[in-house]
Amino acid sequence: MRSFLSATVVSCALVLAACGSGGGGAVEDEVNADGKVILEVAMDAGLEQNAVDAFEARVAQFEKAHPDVDVRPQEYTWTAATFTSQLAGGTIPDVFTVPFTDGRGLIERGQIADVSTLVAKLPYAKSFNPNVARAGQAIDGKQWAVPIAAYAQALHYNRTLFTQAGLDPDDPPSTWAEVRSAARQITARTGQAGYAQMTTDNTGGWILATADYAYGGRLEILKGDKATATIDTDQMADVLTLVRSMRWDDGSMGANFLYDWAGINQDFAAGRIGMYVSGGGNYGNLVTQNALKPADYGVTVLPLADDRDAGVLGGGTLAVVSPKTGEKTRAAAVQWIDFFYLGKLTDKAAAVLNAKTQAESGQPVGTPDLPVLDRATWDAQQKWIAQYVNVPVDQLKPYTSRMFDQPLLPEPARSTQDVYKILDNVVQTVLTDRNADIPSLLADAQSQAQALLDRG
Amino acid sequence: MAVKILPRPVRTTAVRARAPRRRRGPRTWLRGGGLSTLVFLSPLLVVFGFFSWGPIIQSVVMSVQETNLVTAATFVGLDNFAAVFADPLLWTAVRNTLWFALLALLLGYPVPLVAAVLISEVRGRRGLFAALAYLPVVVPPVVAVLLWKFFFDAGPHGVFNTILGAVGLGPAQWLQDADSAMPSLVLEATWAAAGGTMIIYLAALAAVPPELYEAAEIDGASVWRKVWHVTLPNLRNVLLVTFILQIIGTAQVFLEPFLFTGGGPAHATTTVLLLIYDYAFADSLGGDYGRATALSLLLAAVLAVFSAVYFRVTRSWSTS
Amino acid sequence: MSRGVISPAEWASPRVRRPLRVLQGVLLAALLVVGLGPMLWLAKAAVTPTQDTLRSPLAIFPHGIDLANLATAWTRVNIDKYFLNTVVMAAGSWLVQLVVATTAGYALAVLRPRYGKLVSGVVLATLFVPSIVLLVPLYLTVVRASMVNTFWAVWLPAGANAFNVVIVQRFFANLPREVFEAARVDGAGPFRVFWSVVLPMSRPIIGVVSVFAVVASWKDFLWPLLVLPDPAVQPLSVRLPALQRYVELDVFLAALAISSVIPIALFLVFQRLFLRGGALEGAVKG
Repeated sequence: MRSFLSATVVSCALVLAACGSGGGGAVEDEVNADGKVILEVAMDAGLEQNAVDAFEARVAQFEKAHPDVDVRPQEYTWTAATFTSQLAGGTIPDVFTVPFTDGRGLIERGQIADVSTLVAKLPYAKSFNPNVARAGQAIDGKQWAVPIAAYAQALHYNRTLFTQAGLDPDDPPSTWAEVRSAARQITARTGQAGYAQMTTDNTGGWILATADYAYGGRLEILKGDKATATIDTDQMADVLTLVRSMRWDDGSMGANFLYDWAGINQDFAAGRIGMYVSGGGNYGNLVTQNALKPADYGVTVLPLADDRDAGVLGGGTLAVVSPKTGEKTRAAAVQWIDFFYLGKLTDKAAAVLNAKTQAESGQPVGTPDLPVLDRATWDAQQKWIAQYVNVPVDQLKPYTSRMFDQPLLPEPARSTQDVYKILDNVVQTVLTDRNADIPSLLADAQSQAQALLDRG
Repeated sequence: MAVKILPRPVRTTAVRARAPRRRRGPRTWLRGGGLSTLVFLSPLLVVFGFFSWGPIIQSVVMSVQETNLVTAATFVGLDNFAAVFADPLLWTAVRNTLWFALLALLLGYPVPLVAAVLISEVRGRRGLFAALAYLPVVVPPVVAVLLWKFFFDAGPHGVFNTILGAVGLGPAQWLQDADSAMPSLVLEATWAAAGGTMIIYLAALAAVPPELYEAAEIDGASVWRKVWHVTLPNLRNVLLVTFILQIIGTAQVFLEPFLFTGGGPAHATTTVLLLIYDYAFADSLGGDYGRATALSLLLAAVLAVFSAVYFRVTRSWSTS
Repeated sequence: MSRGVISPAEWASPRVRRPLRVLQGVLLAALLVVGLGPMLWLAKAAVTPTQDTLRSPLAIFPHGIDLANLATAWTRVNIDKYFLNTVVMAAGSWLVQLVVATTAGYALAVLRPRYGKLVSGVVLATLFVPSIVLLVPLYLTVVRASMVNTFWAVWLPAGANAFNVVIVQRFFANLPREVFEAARVDGAGPFRVFWSVVLPMSRPIIGVVSVFAVVASWKDFLWPLLVLPDPAVQPLSVRLPALQRYVELDVFLAALAISSVIPIALFLVFQRLFLRGGALEGAVKG
């Protein structure tokens, strides 16, 4: 009986091992009963009914223009655990979206399809904003993923807290020294945190990188195939010293430091934070999820140091194609990306429909973003949606009037998330340990990051 | 009259005589009810086989592979294990996990027991007490995390800090400081799990025969002595089992650090399971899955050895 | 009348009774705060506007009640539809867990085959392996069996619960064997003994396993999120977090409150079943 059982166990193991995970070889196109190519596309989860209807309407339009394709929407949200499992199981939609930060890693590991030849055939393939396009490119410059939305980092501030603290909400800080003194004043007069920063879930590294770039530093230098970490630099030390002074000398950073993207938005909307750095389009989440009072909101450009390398970190969204797709599916996928995602930017009817749907669902229309293609296209798109804009445009002026003046920089190319994670630890230490030794923290982070880059 | 039974002389022969053994062939097995036993075990074997043992074996295979979860995996021998041991975070995670387990033991082990003893003495409204104690266990993690995040707000107006302020104590840092983060997590974890253990103790207490208490009272024992000399010894088996179950459970703590602190501040709450999650999903998006399975196997091996030692050592203490 | 540590004589003497009553009163107060407090807070937050909850969490309706939250939560989140999914999911998980645990417990504790110890050991060993790392292999198994988007993907893995098997096994082991022998002498085969003798005697332990199974199923969110991507079959525990980004906080809290009311109410109704009546005694005895 024992040997019988052990035999069963062993044979099960062999069978399962033989199955392994994934297989090589060419992938077949999925075809439905009528011989049409099946294309599974991602649709945002949790949409209101009118948004779902609008999506279905677009699907119908596409199928009419491409009668050999059967589009099937599939609800999809980008999260680490579900993405990984679905990738392994092959149940990921054929077309889905990922943030810029994760795009490079997916390309490096070959976890998305190389559709660069198909993308190159799109009419505007050459007019992509170069800094934005870089996020979706492989090392050799081939465009594996298509950028569909772009933004830059900005400094968000609470106009009401500014007024209460005796600061002018129409004249927000334009240097880091001004940020520090404004934060001090806000804390002194209102008791709320003057400045706060994200620190967990890799956002700590993201914001630290943003500040570092604003001072003229970089996280990595690429020379051909070799990547060198440049974390232990004067600029990064300056950033951390500023953070440390605000936290421990001025006491202007409040009492809560474990912020991720959603948490800091929540506290800002609750009026507990005077200023913080995040993506330029944050207004949407602040209002929709956290019921921010629109009158409280202000945003301005990120202060840049007087350094010729200083620039503002950009981010955005990429549309990618699953690796487990056949030739015809990939062609259809790129067509869909062109039609659905880029259509909102290039086609008037699509842009108007999108804006109208959003406005009707109570979503904000007109939050600041950056051109994915060229400036002329972006200007045209702004004009088309002008009648649906429902954000407080005047309050956004400090940002929108100057956002094109700042150099836009792409995120570090290699092992981005892993490097951010290392920096998370650095900023958390500075914020929670009074005796944090910044030079040794930076040296340590530098060697860890270098080991990472050498491995990858 | 006793009949004397003379011992039979034992015949020793040069060759060891083997009595013919009855072969346990298939027919005896069938007749002995072997088939029906197997039928009864088949739901367990099928369900565990496909959904527990199978994946475990598959993860063992994956621990010696390198994969990106898309193309076929490559065999890399013990590289994943070496990489795990070379990770400086590993020892931080082990230390944190041990710290969590110790704190959880200090807080979460006696509290349900004391509460159960007190509740078992309640006349009448025992159900109310038990239901209140079990209520936190019923609460979904999504709700619990949301609530406790508000409770743990470190500003002076956070829920707990307001209460502390009302009794004159200064605002505590809770999750924001490396020293107080882990104890805060233990507090929430105990809240969420103590009810279940308490129910088990309540049942065990009810099973203690009253005659033992009566006998102790005849000997003049006070309440405290009765608890020490009658109640606790009778609970010995349950206590031993819940102890090891708690160790195994807390060694695998994941949800609390993941949902509350993400392993911070500055890796103060990074546990072994969090490290496994990070390897498997977070940063590499599946690229380091081999490392994740390698670390899981190491953890499983440690727990298995610990449990084996534990059972051997406590065999003399337990009564079964 | 069953007694505990304290004898009737001691109850009568005020020197024992008073401190004990005080302790019990303190315990009750603590339990009310710790057990009921969070639920009451959630109920309050469900009808409070977002900004009030964020700015002053402990205040009681500083700007009035917003009952509209509940209505919005019900319609926006379609709670009734997802609630049905949650019930179906819980029912199936419960049944699978019960079948696996009782049949295995019976086989291992009553029929006692020679390989019984091996099976018990291998079942117990699954407790050592962290389930988070089994996510991908288990998902692959489910995908290959084409069970994605069906409830079987949740029901069947739920049955692989070592804890259930162990407690049922212990309970059966503590049942008086004479009853089985008597039935066997009367000519009943193992199936008959199981169905007509063992199961009726196991009502308490079945109650316990049922409560654990239903509660666990209600709370489960990561695995159903993975294997039930189609919103039509998603339970509340998956749907609500998915919607978190798209609904306002107060509506979200209202939806959470509504979805928590049901398991808590069910629990309060059925807690009698296992918190009293010596249900777990058999499982924990000696």
